[in-house]
Amino acid sequence: MNKKDVILEVSHLGKSFGNHEVLRDIDFQVRKGDVVSIIGASGSGKSTMLRCINLLETPGSGQILFHEKDITDPKINVPAYREKVGMVFQNFNLFNNMTVLENCMVGQIKVAKKDKETAGAQALKFLQKVGMEQFINAKPRQLSGGQKQRVAIARALAMEPEILLFDEPTSALDPQMVGEVLNVMETLAKEGLTMLVVTHEMAFARDVSSHVIFMANGVIAEEGTPEDIFVHPRQQQTKEFLSRFRNS
Amino acid sequence: MISEMNFLERIIYILQQYGVSYLKGAGTTLAIAVVSTIVGCIIGFLVGIVQTIPVDKKKDNAAKRGLLGLVKLILKAYVELFRGTPMIVQAVFIYYGMSQVFHIQLGMWTSAFLIVSINTGAYMAESVRGGIISVDPGQMEGAKAIGMTHVQAMANVILPQAFRNIMPQIGNNLIINIKDTSVLSVISIVDLFFVHKSVSGALYTYFESATIVMVIYLTMTLAASKLLALWEKKLDGDDNYELVDVMGIGDQLRKAKGDMK
Repeated sequence: MNKKDVILEVSHLGKSFGNHEVLRDIDFQVRKGDVVSIIGASGSGKSTMLRCINLLETPGSGQILFHEKDITDPKINVPAYREKVGMVFQNFNLFNNMTVLENCMVGQIKVAKKDKETAGAQALKFLQKVGMEQFINAKPRQLSGGQKQRVAIARALAMEPEILLFDEPTSALDPQMVGEVLNVMETLAKEGLTMLVVTHEMAFARDVSSHVIFMANGVIAEEGTPEDIFVHPRQQQTKEFLSRFRNS
Repeated sequence: MISEMNFLERIIYILQQYGVSYLKGAGTTLAIAVVSTIVGCIIGFLVGIVQTIPVDKKKDNAAKRGLLGLVKLILKAYVELFRGTPMIVQAVFIYYGMSQVFHIQLGMWTSAFLIVSINTGAYMAESVRGGIISVDPGQMEGAKAIGMTHVQAMANVILPQAFRNIMPQIGNNLIINIKDTSVLSVISIVDLFFVHKSVSGALYTYFESATIVMVIYLTMTLAASKLLALWEKKLDGDDNYELVDVMGIGDQLRKAKGDMK
């Protein structure tokens, strides 16, 4: 792998809320086509880290390099950066005042300055990909959780991001809806989309991702291939974390 | 002769004599209330939007933060001043004060619209601020995550939802304004209440005239709340939605795209 393939490089990232240190010395890289799963107990800093990458939280210290450009620099054009880094939230955050189709078009029209026809066709393409094309006239409040999340994924994809961040995309869903969202994510992974996924779905992390990061108490405790983490974990805390999932 | 009539006959007599005056007065009241509510809402939105501009200590320089802080302080003072004093006193203060102190002859119509508008604006500013902060913060994050600026997110996502949230407040203000324009008779605006005072003064029929005026005010406020309820319903849209035959739509979009070329 040469250096050019690296899309995102996080180095020595730290973050505190008041005197509570939630992230310490986080280092990792994401290359084009990688599917990186971030696992760990609740409160281990996974979501905060993801939100720092999208600058929804201000990083406290360290650097986040996007194509070798430090995005923690105050002079960076934040909206332009976010356009290239999509985000899917635990609570969907679909725009309640718009229909499904409008949700997937508004960013293309207002941010990417595309015309309505192009945006509509693009929105429809991705809504078809997630199997929500029949619902273009529905409002978010009329959809189930799984449907909302699939629309949210289509909305993010419609911006054609270089990397897509998922912040516990299935944690707010009923068990029977988790599958429909994971299937979509798996398809995207196979198609080569670069993804950074904070998740509690161990099967997804094990079977779909190319790289797994295990976080504990604000640091990366262990990382490696899915086989490294799930079959041959070295750290005691990784073993304990995973055994809790196996038993449940 | 009017003293020999019974209650109903007197009302009919008054309506025959002064019916047109009452209607004109009601028209004036309605005109001031509607226009001032709209202008007040615009003021309220502008103030509310400025009050909710976020400050980023890291990215914004000191001059920008200082200026924004000063503007916010002035707007806060405006809200407190006009919410905290009676409109009848403001009317006298502005109408007479402007000409005596600043030698500006505002005219009673300009004064009337100005007073009710800035009063409504002061109340609406707080309602709008409340409406904005009551929108789920996730909506702003969702908008930012697809690359929207604060302004784009406000215009396309937050304000439409805030507007819907404060619709009941706008209705409240319209109804209050229909009633409270009656204090403008203090600066000689011939509104519905002024007509009542003239008629009852001329004929000594306070109860009868007041009855007529009560009915007219109530009719206006009931109509206003009914219309606003219908508007709210329209904003909420249909509870049902149609599943769409996508291939049809896709073809249409492709065709439309082809036509553009």
